[in-house]
Amino acid sequence: MGTRILSVEDDERIRTAVKLALEDEGWTVEEATDGESAIAAWSRTPADVVLIDIMLPGIDGFEVCRQIRRQSDVPIIMVTARADTHDVVAGLEAGADDYLTKPFAPKELSARIRALLRRTRSVEPGTPRMTFGDLEIIPQEGVVTMSGTDLHLTKTEFRLLIELASSPGRVFSREALLERVWGHGYFGDGRLVDVHIRRLRTKVEQDPANPRHVVTVRGLGYKLQQ
Amino acid sequence: MAGQSRFRPFAGAGLRARITMTFGMGALLVSLLLVGTTAVLIRRNLLDQREQVVAERVSVNAGLVADKIGRPEVDAQTLFGSLATAGKPSVLVWDTDSGEYLPFSVDTRLGATSLPKALTRRVLRERRSSVMRYEQRGEVLLAVGVPISGQDGGYFEVNQLADIDRSLSNLTIPLFAAVAITTGIGAALGWYASKRVLRPLADISEVATDIAEGRLDARLAYSEWADDPDLAPIVASFNGMVSEMQARIDRDARFASDVSHELRSPLTTFNASVEVLRNARDDLPERAQLALDLLGSDLERFTQLVEDLLEISRFDAGAVRLEIDDVAIVETVRMAVHTLSPTPIPVEADPELEGLIILCDKRRLVRVLANFLDNAAKYADGATRVLVEHATTAHDDGDEPGERTVRIIVEDAGPGVVEAEREKIFDRFNRGGQGGSRGRDLGVGLGLALAAEHARLQGGSVWVEGRSDGASGSWFVLELPVVEASEPSEGEVFLDEVTAEHMALQIPAEEGTAS
Repeated sequence: MGTRILSVEDDERIRTAVKLALEDEGWTVEEATDGESAIAAWSRTPADVVLIDIMLPGIDGFEVCRQIRRQSDVPIIMVTARADTHDVVAGLEAGADDYLTKPFAPKELSARIRALLRRTRSVEPGTPRMTFGDLEIIPQEGVVTMSGTDLHLTKTEFRLLIELASSPGRVFSREALLERVWGHGYFGDGRLVDVHIRRLRTKVEQDPANPRHVVTVRGLGYKLQQ
Repeated sequence: MAGQSRFRPFAGAGLRARITMTFGMGALLVSLLLVGTTAVLIRRNLLDQREQVVAERVSVNAGLVADKIGRPEVDAQTLFGSLATAGKPSVLVWDTDSGEYLPFSVDTRLGATSLPKALTRRVLRERRSSVMRYEQRGEVLLAVGVPISGQDGGYFEVNQLADIDRSLSNLTIPLFAAVAITTGIGAALGWYASKRVLRPLADISEVATDIAEGRLDARLAYSEWADDPDLAPIVASFNGMVSEMQARIDRDARFASDVSHELRSPLTTFNASVEVLRNARDDLPERAQLALDLLGSDLERFTQLVEDLLEISRFDAGAVRLEIDDVAIVETVRMAVHTLSPTPIPVEADPELEGLIILCDKRRLVRVLANFLDNAAKYADGATRVLVEHATTAHDDGDEPGERTVRIIVEDAGPGVVEAEREKIFDRFNRGGQGGSRGRDLGVGLGLALAAEHARLQGGSVWVEGRSDGASGSWFVLELPVVEASEPSEGEVFLDEVTAEHMALQIPAEEGTAS
């Protein structure tokens, strides 16, 4: 069975056109017109990627995102007609892995979907386990523990941590992380990295306000340290 | 205009100083008038009193003199010595032998011979008691004369009035002190009154500043002024004006938001549908393929136009927000040029600037750079190099050191921009010398106007100039002020430190309340 995409969009014309474009990529598209039916559809048959429009009648896109995120680490792309900080950051805070602003080029959408599908927990064989103080990363098993307890990281958070851990102490610019984790081939939106770093910190840091592992290097980016 | 001919005392001074001075001057004039009147009245009163006292005493003395005058054993010395008098007494008696009045006096200077003729005539000829004030050698004197009963003669006394003037002059100091105090009190009253007058103005200025800074819900507190019949209407109309303005801005923002949504939705459908058609392009007849290509390329252009228009309308509506971040300027330019350009373009940076971290909006910086590179690619076969330089803006007014800036310069080897067009190309929908000719993929002419807005928003500027080496081509310059990143201070927020509370503060002003 091929890749299944759940597309949540209340505008019928957009929904249909996007479905046609995605089907051309060889993917199966399931549609939902509002928040309630999206959650119902998700519970019936989980998809491989979820596409959520923020402005939905009833339960809004943020809430749909939160509810699905609570059950699964499935890749989620938020679609918004507004590019302002509030919507983008709120969507990412709700658990989205990436976002797109309308009107988007379908090629861009499918590129993002492919990047998300590639973003798995698998790593190159032979990558050794790494320890950063109380934090332990076991790449082969896709597991991260803090003081011996398993941390539930999404695939994006896991990849972000693995990238940073690949060269401990090295500073990664936001752009480098966007390219390596999100596969964005252009000068992307640093907010994507910032919000995910913040979410990662809430999981891997004892005190997320004073991070010890994932630290900010002002003006340059982020690095992982002991 | 009426305002120009209006009398304005102390023009040039502040309103408050003018009010204070006017009050002070008023108090000074009133108190001077009062003091003057008081002095005159007191003097007259004192003189009247003195006249009365002297007149009574003189009539008593005249009785005493009448008994003794004419006796041979009585000389003037003893005669006048027995009298109770503060003045200089003298007597004139008719002497039938010589046929004239004989004077008897002790003090000849103020004696009978120096008396004014008008007085002696009235007393001696008309036989009437008289009082006369006169001046002699700069001294004010009071002379009183009484006819001596039973004899042809008169008794006179001359009184010096200098003591009255002395007491008056003693009064001068306290009186002028009172004038000074009154003036001071007047000025203080003016100061206080002007404070009350100016308070609403200060409030209005404060609220206006708030509004200018974007806090459109700022209002004057009407309840504070409600019971003031003069100020209440001003406050009410000011608040009304602000409300009307806010409503208009909200309406504009809502409209822009609706337009934005209405345009973005169908464009999303267009883009997806055209993509589907493109995927099936090989199955279409040749004519349909041509039509599809036209549709596809114009759709791209139209999409870009809508994005740009929406963005520029956000600038016009004042609904844009800076996202200030620490930016390693040279590193960012290098990375941006590397990412944005399909062909490698050398970036030459002033070594002094390496590692410099400034505060600016990185996304907007990159947008401007992308636009310059795009522009060079479209009109000049691509940029030849990108320079990052250090500069200091010249100050118009003298010695003050200028502001430190960085200039990011995109150089090309194209035909250049003629002098006359250099400002115009940053206008909307103006495409320099090619304005009007709409070649394929030449953009829509909002890019440079947007670049100018992006720069202006963060205190920078953009312009184009000829190449400094004289070769054909242009320098497109983005100049940004160097605001060096310091330790995060209050009010500074870095994107990676955005907290939930901060997000709540960032109202989605960009596009209002689309739903």
